Amino acid sequence: MIAERSSYMYEMIHTELIDALGAEFVNVRDVDRFGHSVDYYWIPEMWHDKGMETPKPDFVCHPSTTEEVAKVMKIANQYKIPVVPWGGGSGSQGGALPVYGGIIMDMKRMNKYYGVDKESMTVSCQTGIIAQHLEWNCNKEGFSTMHLPASISCATIGGFLAHRGTGVLSTKYGKIEDMVMSLEVVTPTGEIIRTLPVPRHASGPDLTMLFVGSEGTLGIITEVTLKVHPQPEKREFRAYIFKDFHTAMSAGAELMRSRLQPCAIRLYDETETKTHVRKVFGMDLDQGAYLVFGFDGYSDIVDCQMRYAREIMEKKYNGQDLGSKGGDLWWENKYKFFYPPYVFHVPQAYGTLDTVATFANIENVYHAMKKVVNENFPQARFIGHFSHWYEWGCMLYARFIFEKEDVPEDPREAAALYNRVWDLAIKAAIDNGGVINEHHGVGLKLGRFMKYLYGPAMPVLEKIKKELDPNHIMNPGKMGL
Amino acid sequence: MNIEKFSDAIKYCRFCFMCRHLSGIGNVTFTEADTPRVRASMVYGATLRPETLTNEDLIRTMYRSDLSGACRRNCVHHFDEVGLTLAYRADIVNLGAAPEAIKAIAAELENWKDWTVSGSGKVVYVADQYSIDSGAAAAFGKLAGEFQTIQGGSCGKGLYVLGFHESAKKVAEKFVNVLSSTEAETIVVSNPAIYDMLVNTCPELGITVPGKVMHSTEFLAEVKCKPLGDIYYLESDFLRNYNDDYAAPKALLKANGANLHAFGTNDEESYSCAEGAVVLDKIEPALVEKLANYIAARADHPESDIIAVASPYTKVQLKKYTTLNVKTVEELLAEQL
Repeated sequence: MIAERSSYMYEMIHTELIDALGAEFVNVRDVDRFGHSVDYYWIPEMWHDKGMETPKPDFVCHPSTTEEVAKVMKIANQYKIPVVPWGGGSGSQGGALPVYGGIIMDMKRMNKYYGVDKESMTVSCQTGIIAQHLEWNCNKEGFSTMHLPASISCATIGGFLAHRGTGVLSTKYGKIEDMVMSLEVVTPTGEIIRTLPVPRHASGPDLTMLFVGSEGTLGIITEVTLKVHPQPEKREFRAYIFKDFHTAMSAGAELMRSRLQPCAIRLYDETETKTHVRKVFGMDLDQGAYLVFGFDGYSDIVDCQMRYAREIMEKKYNGQDLGSKGGDLWWENKYKFFYPPYVFHVPQAYGTLDTVATFANIENVYHAMKKVVNENFPQARFIGHFSHWYEWGCMLYARFIFEKEDVPEDPREAAALYNRVWDLAIKAAIDNGGVINEHHGVGLKLGRFMKYLYGPAMPVLEKIKKELDPNHIMNPGKMGL
Repeated sequence: MNIEKFSDAIKYCRFCFMCRHLSGIGNVTFTEADTPRVRASMVYGATLRPETLTNEDLIRTMYRSDLSGACRRNCVHHFDEVGLTLAYRADIVNLGAAPEAIKAIAAELENWKDWTVSGSGKVVYVADQYSIDSGAAAAFGKLAGEFQTIQGGSCGKGLYVLGFHESAKKVAEKFVNVLSSTEAETIVVSNPAIYDMLVNTCPELGITVPGKVMHSTEFLAEVKCKPLGDIYYLESDFLRNYNDDYAAPKALLKANGANLHAFGTNDEESYSCAEGAVVLDKIEPALVEKLANYIAARADHPESDIIAVASPYTKVQLKKYTTLNVKTVEELLAEQL
C-alpha cells in the first residue's frame, strides 16, 4: 500500500487520478481491489484458497485513451507509485499482480476496434480488447488473426503482446511477435511513442521488439497493428499413434524439416496420451504417443501437403493412422483441456514447465526435467506434450502435478515446495539448452531465473530498464527487473 | 445456506477465465469484479470468513450481475455461476442484509396490483407490463384467435431473482391461481421471463402450473404473413440460455420469409440488456443504458436495420436508450399480415 487509506496523501493521489480519468474509472472498492489481486498463477490462487490475504492495488484505473494512460503515468512518476498493467488477468506467471500495491492500469476499457485494412491485410485496435472480441470482429470482415490460444476468451491483445503469446496455429502463422506490424506505447515517464509502421526495415534496431515481451516493465502498449489472414478454404487434421515418444518426436521433427508448413502439430508423451488425450477426447488409447498435425489453405494444396506428410508418418516412422477423425477430435476439443474440471485445480499443486529448445536439445530437456522431478518429488506426476513447432525446434509443455494429499496444509510450506520444483526443473532445462519459456512469460514466478538464463547479457536489459523507467515504477518485481 | 448447493460453481468458477469475454456487465464496466470468476472467488472468501458475506461492495456486485446465463451455456460443463449468484442473493435476504434499495423494489413487486381476466377461450395470454409497453400484446391480439387475457399483475420472477423466495412463492401462487381460474388449457406468454417462471421457477418453488406453457412464437407457429425480408434477430437470454435454445422465435421468422442475419459478431454474448436480471433497470438503470449502447454499437446499420426480439423487456430497454429499429416478433408478423 502506498499510503494508509485514511491518510490525506491517499486522497491527494486519488483526486489527481479522478481528475485524469473521471470518478467512475478510478475504483477503490474492496471487490475491485480483490479482483486484481489473484490471477492464474498457482501461488496467489493457493493463497486465496487457504484464506490468506493477497496483495492488493490501491487504485484500479480504467483509461479509455492513450492520453489518459499518459496522464496516469505522469501522476505515478510524480508520487513514485508502482503501476501494473492488467489485461485479462489470465496470466499464469503472476505478471500482472500488484505485489507492491499502487495502481493497476486495467486496459480493458481501451477496446476500440479500428477495422481491417483489406489492401495490406492488417488490423488495428487498442490493446485492451479481449482477443476473442478482436477475432470475432475480424471474422465478420472475412479475416482471422490466426492467433487462437486457449486464453483467447479472456486475455487481451495487450496481454499477448506483453508476454509474447502463442496460439494453436503458431507453426504456420507464428507467435504474436511474428504478427505485429507496429505499436503505440506510453513510456514509463508518460511519453507517447509509435514504433515504425512496418516490421521489416533496415532503420536500426527494432523498437517494436523492445516492447513486445517486456511484460509492462518498460511501458504500456496502447495500440497495435497486426497482420490478418484470409479464412482458409480447408483445414484438415490427422492423428497418429507411435510406439513411443521418441519415435513420435522424430516423425514430428522430420515433418518440420520437410518444410511442408503444417499449421499445427501436437505431440503428447505416453503418460499424457494415456490420461489427458484419452479422457478429453474419449479415445481408447492405452499405449504409445499421440501426435496430431494439420494443414490449412487452398483445398488441393492441403491435400498435397497431407499426402507428403502421411508418407513421413506411415512409411518412415510406422505411425498408426487414427485418420482425420482422430485429428479433428483434437481441433474440436483443443480448448476443452482448459475448462474445469479437466484443467488442474487447487488444492492440487501444478505448474507448466514451459520450455523451448532446438530439435537437437528438446528431448534432452524433456528427460532432464522429468528426471529431476521424478527423483526429487516422487509424489508428483510429470506429463508433457510438445505444443508449438518451428523449423528449428519446438516447445515443451511439461507439467508437474501434486495431488491434494501431497500438498502441505501450511501455505508457506506449499509455496516453498512449489518453488523448489521450479528451481530444480528450470535449471535442468536451461543446463540442457532450453529457454524459459515459449509463451507463458516470466512474470513474478520466473524472474529469479533471468540472470541464470541471460548470464552476462542480463545487465543490458537492466540498463534499458533503468534508462526508460528511472523511478522504477513500471511493474516492479517482475521479469527479474 | 443456499450457496452451499452451488459448491461446484464456487470450486471451479473462481479460478476459471474461460467465459470472461461473455461477462455482460464486465464488458461495460470493464471491472474484474463483474465476472463469474471474481464473483465466485468472493463468495468462496465469504465461506471462509462469514462476516464478509455481507460486505457492502460484495452485495452491490452480486446484485448487478446481468444473469444472462451465457457463461453457463458456453461452459464445457455448464457450471452454474448464475445459480450461485441467485443463491447468494437469497442468503443475503434470509440474513436480513438486503440493501434498503433492494428491499424497496421487492416491496413494490410484492404489493403489485392484482391480475384481471378478460376474454374467453381455452387459451390464456399473459399480458404483463413489458408485453403491453413493447406492443407485443397488441400484436398478439391481431394474430391469435380467441383467447382470454390476464393483465396487470406480477408473476413473482422479479422477487425470485432478488432473492425474496418466500414472497416470490406467494406472488407466484396468486398468479397461478388466476391462471387456474381461467380453466385455459394453454398458457401463452410473450415475456420470456414469465415463460421461465412458469416452466422452471414455479416447479422449483413447489407450484404446479395448470396447462401447457408456450412462448407466443410457438403458439403462433401456423401464422402466415407476407415475406418479412432482411431481419436481424436478438436472442432472449431466458429462451436461449435458460431453456435449451428454445427455437420457436427464429423458426417462426424463417417460416414467414425472414432472411435472418446474425446480429453483432457472435452468437455467444448476451444482447438482451440484462433480461436475465429481470429488474436491473430498477436497481442500476445506468448499467442497462450501457448495455443498450453496447448492443447499438454492434449493429451493422444502426439507422436502418430491422431488429427482431423475442423479449419485450429487451425491446423496451433498447427503445428507451437507443435509436435502433427494434420490434417484437409479434409486431413484425402483425405488420405484414
